[in-house]
Amino acid sequence: MSSTVEVEPGAAPESVLVTADSCENFEHMNSSLEEIKNLIEIKQAAEESTIETVVSENLEETGNFSECDDDEDDYVQNSEWTSRKKQVFVLSMAGKPIYSRYGNEDKLAWLFGVMQTLVSFVQSTNDDCIKSIHAGDTTFVFLVKKPLILVTVSKTHESENQLISQLNYVFNQITSTLTLTRLNKIYEQRQNYDLRRQLTGAERLIDHLLDFTEKEPSFLLGAVQCLPLASSVRNTISSAITGACNKIKNLVFAILLANNKLITLVRMKKYCLHPADLHLIFNLVQASESLKNSENWTPLCLPRFDSSGFLYCHVSYLSEDCQACLLLLTVERDVFYVLSQAKQAIVEKLRRTNCLEAINNSLTTNEETCLTAGFTELRHYLYKCKSTAQFYQPSLAPPYTLEKERLLELYKRAHQHLHCSSRPLKLVFEKSSKEVVLAWDTKGFELYVVFEPLIDTTGAINLVGKLLNWIKNREDKLFHLNAPTF
Amino acid sequence: MATAAASEEIDDDVFETQEEVNSKLKVSGKAVQEKSNTPSPTGYRGYQPPAEVIRLCQTDVIEDNEQIVHKTILLGDSGVGKTSLLVKFDTGKFQSGNFSATVGIGFTNKVVSVDQTRVKLQIWDTAGQERFRSVTHAYYRDAHALLLLYDVTNKTSFDNIRAWLGEIREYAQDDVVIMLLGNKADCGSNRAVRREEGERLAREYNVTFMETSAKSGQNVELAFLAIARELKYRQTGQRDPNRFNVQDYVREQTNKTQAQCPNCNT
Repeated sequence: MSSTVEVEPGAAPESVLVTADSCENFEHMNSSLEEIKNLIEIKQAAEESTIETVVSENLEETGNFSECDDDEDDYVQNSEWTSRKKQVFVLSMAGKPIYSRYGNEDKLAWLFGVMQTLVSFVQSTNDDCIKSIHAGDTTFVFLVKKPLILVTVSKTHESENQLISQLNYVFNQITSTLTLTRLNKIYEQRQNYDLRRQLTGAERLIDHLLDFTEKEPSFLLGAVQCLPLASSVRNTISSAITGACNKIKNLVFAILLANNKLITLVRMKKYCLHPADLHLIFNLVQASESLKNSENWTPLCLPRFDSSGFLYCHVSYLSEDCQACLLLLTVERDVFYVLSQAKQAIVEKLRRTNCLEAINNSLTTNEETCLTAGFTELRHYLYKCKSTAQFYQPSLAPPYTLEKERLLELYKRAHQHLHCSSRPLKLVFEKSSKEVVLAWDTKGFELYVVFEPLIDTTGAINLVGKLLNWIKNREDKLFHLNAPTF
Repeated sequence: MATAAASEEIDDDVFETQEEVNSKLKVSGKAVQEKSNTPSPTGYRGYQPPAEVIRLCQTDVIEDNEQIVHKTILLGDSGVGKTSLLVKFDTGKFQSGNFSATVGIGFTNKVVSVDQTRVKLQIWDTAGQERFRSVTHAYYRDAHALLLLYDVTNKTSFDNIRAWLGEIREYAQDDVVIMLLGNKADCGSNRAVRREEGERLAREYNVTFMETSAKSGQNVELAFLAIARELKYRQTGQRDPNRFNVQDYVREQTNKTQAQCPNCNT
């Protein structure tokens, strides 16, 4: 495939985000907090080593589990509950219910019992670990991450890896509210502890996260999208933040985001933020309407950054007239006032330099669709720059404005082709009566394009070349290319 | 019911001991002294104090009462309506339907007017969940006043009030103003805690009590204004402490409004 672009669009010498493979499974966790506090001891929790085997395939679906539901069968009879496309459950190793995406956990206690039995049966008989069960169009995926068991039952045609990745996000969300250290400690002290007590209010975050993973391509790609801004504006914003926060000790990250897109991220030298952590932050901001009421101060654990302890986070919206959300993350527990002042200084600076206006303009202008950008045979695309873990997508255009879900399914399918562990492909060209999908994985980027159904391969390849040039010309605006530090 | 409340005798010396009043007086006395140290412009003809002194004086005048910031914390179990109460007070609106738990601590500044002077309240809205306690504890110490809420439709939230008061005794200043609020008083038949139970508990711990409703607005202003008033009088310390007593004040005010909310008489 020919392209005149030498360096992939969106690439930068230094990245604000840790670059990550979208399918990696979060086994490796850093410990940065202690380091920042200049303490020597770094603990690395020795993770369990799970043997990767698919235990059984094509297990017959056992009716509606009808043998064990004499009294507590509310949900099994309930067609609304059984017709859900994706169920997600979290339980403790002892089989105690912690979370169910739909329905009341207590009423589903019997079902959690079944799941726990399946896990422990495989564990005890073969010293093995159950991974998944496939039954017709239903996939049961198990993720055993001590001290929790996570299970999803899906009819969505997503791949096992994609489902595992979602379960990992759920696990990380729980870790983010409690820290892994605390989670382990709780169960060391009492194996049959009811974790829901600690998670009150966080179920909402998990609910939102799951909807999020189903709707947003960012989770699929393991990348974030930036709010389009002239690079000069983005730099002014970054320097306003560095200017106000320079002197503050132990400030680790300053993140400005709006409408689920990143505006800028300033970080402490040597520390990077992982996109998966940033996704949790996006989720927190999106799911918490109450953050708009006031300035907020909250502990927050970023599991990829350091799962052992909390960062403390000052969260506030810039102003009434600019709904961008600023997060200042520090390792100090009692510097609210310092950060509150820094925030005031940042807002004043941004107002003086007309940056608030620029952010608002970008938020209110509709991004270009493929059509307005001059690509008539192109319907939609996702472009991910691997080295910076950022992606870009144009605005949705018909027919996908009404079929957003189906579009994402196309992308998920294509993504699966490129990332399938047994036979990963570099290039996929798939034609159907409704559209043509091209997926291309190179060293520097991943590209997923949806074309009009009548396009041929030569036409598609030509267009991809043009598209890459188009993105390259706008990379300053579409991507966060600097990696500013305090 | 109303008359019963009015006739109850409550020992009301908890809020201001003479010692505290004296210490407050001392503080304000010091401030006055400092002011008198600034060069007098009446010393001789044509004297102009240095620019920074003028500036100091000017800002002093403008921010006079706003400078004194009174820290108030909202406490209570998750879901009793702390944020709703604050939002109602702050914006006059009731956020119906969209329950969204507070994340950590929310911080709002509100200037209220007490007897023609402006009093600045810094209100900390805390998350009720257990896991946030360690963060909120750190801020108890600075608090001048605590609004402790329970939900009159939720017995557990009422039962937990004793535990909350225990925590307050442990972490907050001894002289902190505490007000117990039974929220969601508009509930009608869903009520699970009778008003008398709240009153009894308040009497036992010698704290001010009232029932509120963020939905109807009942007593919302009153709760915050009573706090502001009490804090202002304590701060200035110039008034005879016996002249203002928050419990009497609240009783008086609630009696006045009693007729408007027949629902809350159980």
